[in-house]
Amino acid sequence: MELEDLKSRLKLQVIEYLNLIDIKPEDIKDDEPFFGGSLDLDSIDSLELVVLLEREYGIKIENPQEGRKVMIDINHMAEYILANKK
Amino acid sequence: MYIKDLCYISCQTTFDSSFFETDSIDANAIFVSAKEPDYTPYIPKSLLRRMGKGVRMGIGSGMHLLNKHTNISGIILGTANGGLEDCIKFLNQIVDYNEGTLTPTNFVQSTPNAVAANLALMTSNTCYNNTHVNSGLAFESALIDAMLTLNEVEGDILVGSLEEVTQANINIDKLKGWVVDTETRLLHLVNGNTSGSLIGEGAGMFVVSHDKQQALVEVVDIHTVTTEDINSVWKVYESFLKNNTIEEKNVAFILGRNGDEKHNINYNAFEQQFVKGNSIYTYKNLCGEFPTSISFGLWLSVHLLNKKIKKESIYKDVSMDIKQIIIYNQTYNNQHSFLLVKEVL
Repeated sequence: MELEDLKSRLKLQVIEYLNLIDIKPEDIKDDEPFFGGSLDLDSIDSLELVVLLEREYGIKIENPQEGRKVMIDINHMAEYILANKK
Repeated sequence: MYIKDLCYISCQTTFDSSFFETDSIDANAIFVSAKEPDYTPYIPKSLLRRMGKGVRMGIGSGMHLLNKHTNISGIILGTANGGLEDCIKFLNQIVDYNEGTLTPTNFVQSTPNAVAANLALMTSNTCYNNTHVNSGLAFESALIDAMLTLNEVEGDILVGSLEEVTQANINIDKLKGWVVDTETRLLHLVNGNTSGSLIGEGAGMFVVSHDKQQALVEVVDIHTVTTEDINSVWKVYESFLKNNTIEEKNVAFILGRNGDEKHNINYNAFEQQFVKGNSIYTYKNLCGEFPTSISFGLWLSVHLLNKKIKKESIYKDVSMDIKQIIIYNQTYNNQHSFLLVKEVL
């Protein structure tokens, strides 16, 4: 899967899993921070993102330190998926 | 115990003041959904996106009052099913994902006490917080709890109920014979003699106090009983009458008639035995049937005692000056309750 296609799909999945009201995929920039930025996600959302990775891409994040390096923005998440997708 | 303020979200336009000025909403259906208001003045979007319908309605109606009343010494709610849709989603995920990693949101939002807890968190309220879940008597239990708690605290209490319609409870209640088989007219509900009733949903909140200043009505007494023996129910009602001073010429009745033939038997018997030429009002032909729908009856009684009458709620009209109202409701043919509400003197 091409990186750009994956990012587009990922944005749709993030919106669906986190039920982000009034946000469209084009509103999420690739480098928009998940936490502390305009998306303003919280710790429950980070758990939802862990579930998203497991269900949609078969990737389990069991080490919280690893999770912190992945759940930064769409860019980081997409690159991690390409490198670890089963 | 006095009611100072109230708010209701139902399938009618009860959230704003237009209910008494507009025609009632009718439906030809098996269930009716609530008309939800714009919640954004009451709930931050970041929280709203996680909430199921029942939770949204409960928090929306609760925050509407908590924004106006800040001296709150307790939050006490009643709900038979809580956030049932989230609960079913969560349970289905356990099966679908083979007991693997589950999303936390559905679980967090599905617990019945999610509404009272969220209201406390959103208003930084650390006072008494309780949710009663005993089915058709959950709201009455919350009211009794509020009456008792007011003996121990200063300030007001937020007491209320919430219930949401989901396919899950329609399916389950249908198997039990509590839901109509075919589409039924909501406004004509009380005249029916069907098997089952039309299901509704809603959230009602009341600010109650010991202080009668600015009070709208007084809730004088509440009696509840769980039994299938109707003679035992009438004994409880006779004891309820003995406990209170009822002025026969000024008392009206609000009955929880829902058109279900199984319930009609008891309401007919109650009328024959205990109602002697008084006005009778109904409310389930406005809000539908659900386990905590008596809160809509209480909401209606507050307006009736303040001279606001909805014509669709009139079941038997007798020219009288209403100063007291007795509400009789039953759920699932075995949970009965009697409330006495009166004007503030």
